[in-house]
Amino acid sequence: MNFLRWLVFAIAALAMNFPVLSTLVTSFKSEAEIASNPSLWIHAPTLANYLDVFRISDRFDILHYLWNSFASSILGAGLSLLLAFPAAYGLVRFGTGRKWLLPLVANLRAIPLIVFAIPLYLVYARVGLLDTRLGLALILCIVNLPLVLVLLVAALRDLPAELDEAARVDGASTFTLLWRIILPLAAPALATTMVLGFVYAWNEFLFALILTTRDAVTTTVGASFFFAASGGGVRWGIAAAVMVLSVLPPMALGLLLYRRIGQSLAAGAVKG
Amino acid sequence: MQSQHLRDGRILLAPLTIFLLAMLGLPLVVDLIYSVSRVEFRTILSPEFVGLANYASALSSENYWQAAWFSLRFGLVCAVAQLLLGLFLAIFLAPLIDRRPWLLAFLMLPMMVAPALVGLMYRLILHEFVGVVPWFMFTYFGDSPSFLGPDNAFRTLVVVEVLQWTPFALLILYSAYAAIPKDVREAASIDGAGPWQRLWRIDLPLMTPVLGATFFIRFIDSFRVFDNVYTLTGAGAGGATTTMSIWVYEAFFKSGDIGRAVAASMLLLVAAWAVLAIVHRLSERRA
Repeated sequence: MNFLRWLVFAIAALAMNFPVLSTLVTSFKSEAEIASNPSLWIHAPTLANYLDVFRISDRFDILHYLWNSFASSILGAGLSLLLAFPAAYGLVRFGTGRKWLLPLVANLRAIPLIVFAIPLYLVYARVGLLDTRLGLALILCIVNLPLVLVLLVAALRDLPAELDEAARVDGASTFTLLWRIILPLAAPALATTMVLGFVYAWNEFLFALILTTRDAVTTTVGASFFFAASGGGVRWGIAAAVMVLSVLPPMALGLLLYRRIGQSLAAGAVKG
Repeated sequence: MQSQHLRDGRILLAPLTIFLLAMLGLPLVVDLIYSVSRVEFRTILSPEFVGLANYASALSSENYWQAAWFSLRFGLVCAVAQLLLGLFLAIFLAPLIDRRPWLLAFLMLPMMVAPALVGLMYRLILHEFVGVVPWFMFTYFGDSPSFLGPDNAFRTLVVVEVLQWTPFALLILYSAYAAIPKDVREAASIDGAGPWQRLWRIDLPLMTPVLGATFFIRFIDSFRVFDNVYTLTGAGAGGATTTMSIWVYEAFFKSGDIGRAVAASMLLLVAAWAVLAIVHRLSERRA
């Protein structure tokens, strides 16, 4: 029975991670071998594709895409924490907006984001936010808010209210209290939420596709450029290497912090 | 003290509220106005009221209903498949994961990959000359179906979506399963309940709320799907894989039909709201 369980685990893990594994294999094959040998076995492993990725940076600048992803994701996730943390505290301790704000934001998760895409595009075109990292970060913040708010509300609810009361007796204002007492206590929850928000933002595609064209193109959109390459068709080896580089940051975070991310995702889903 | 709390609470919530009004409220107003106007990129600031013509135009277009049907079917099939597969894996693998939690890391990994990139990866994997799956089919079965052709595209996309997001169901259902107190199961065993009886009479009833929530989340996410379908097939396969989200995107960015695209997004919003209302009603009745 235990053997059967291990077998099922192995099959499930392989099947679900198959796209990444297969792409990883392809990225270490030469262009010639990709054409002649589509199997998962590599006859002559090479790093040529990874070097070529940077060699064609005058046309497709992968480092620029990675930097755009990194900057807008940090900014977007950070901003969502900055907005949601005080709001979560207000919700939990004073009950402000518990009736309307929390359901509104939590239900946002169920709304197809394309609904907001067109008007935001038109507004962005007016105010000059199209194709900027800041403009994208503002959207990524919105995308993250439902999960971030639900997770922070859950985390703050677990903190004992006696701490607040003790500090209040000593005459601390709400804002001193939030900064000096609650923030340090909630730091682990904030860190996990930040990581999750970063991963979600990094993986976002729809708004990056709509709102960025050149300067602020992120890696999810940039990677698709390598598939639409003009002329003699797709250079699969380079495309594979680009994808490996693009999935590395979120996957590394996922492997390192799987336990906390798993707990957060499960909690966020059930409470949200 | 009470009024002080009220004031502090408002101050704490103000930044978030203002941000939401600007980033969601304003777009919604624009949506609403343009959905009842004739408007083009040149006349973007002077929309002309045309009543419900845009809605009629969206609803009377044949491929709108095709996209609606595709999304609905895709959402339902994917949600059911993910729920069943996730439930099976969660319960069957629970003894392994209980002792070695790090196994979860490998099962969670697919969720860390951008769906858009997963779509691109399958473009490589399913490519008829360089892809590993067609190669395997040719080598061992002598023939390979056209995975992204009109006949198979739906099934292929379902498999792609299910393989990536079953981990989500698995993770949540495993947490719920592990949270069932040991003594409940032990008491049932002592009363003579076998493994199947314990599953049907104890575990599944206790997990029902979580099963419902998981189904709902997976349905919504698969229904509104854009990224992986767009990067894998585009509106290819003869338009057979146009989802609702892709329909709105194409109406706006490809056809430039602002009014129609905006009207369709308003309909999408109403549909999402209706689903939410139903789910809310159901969960209240249970509680």
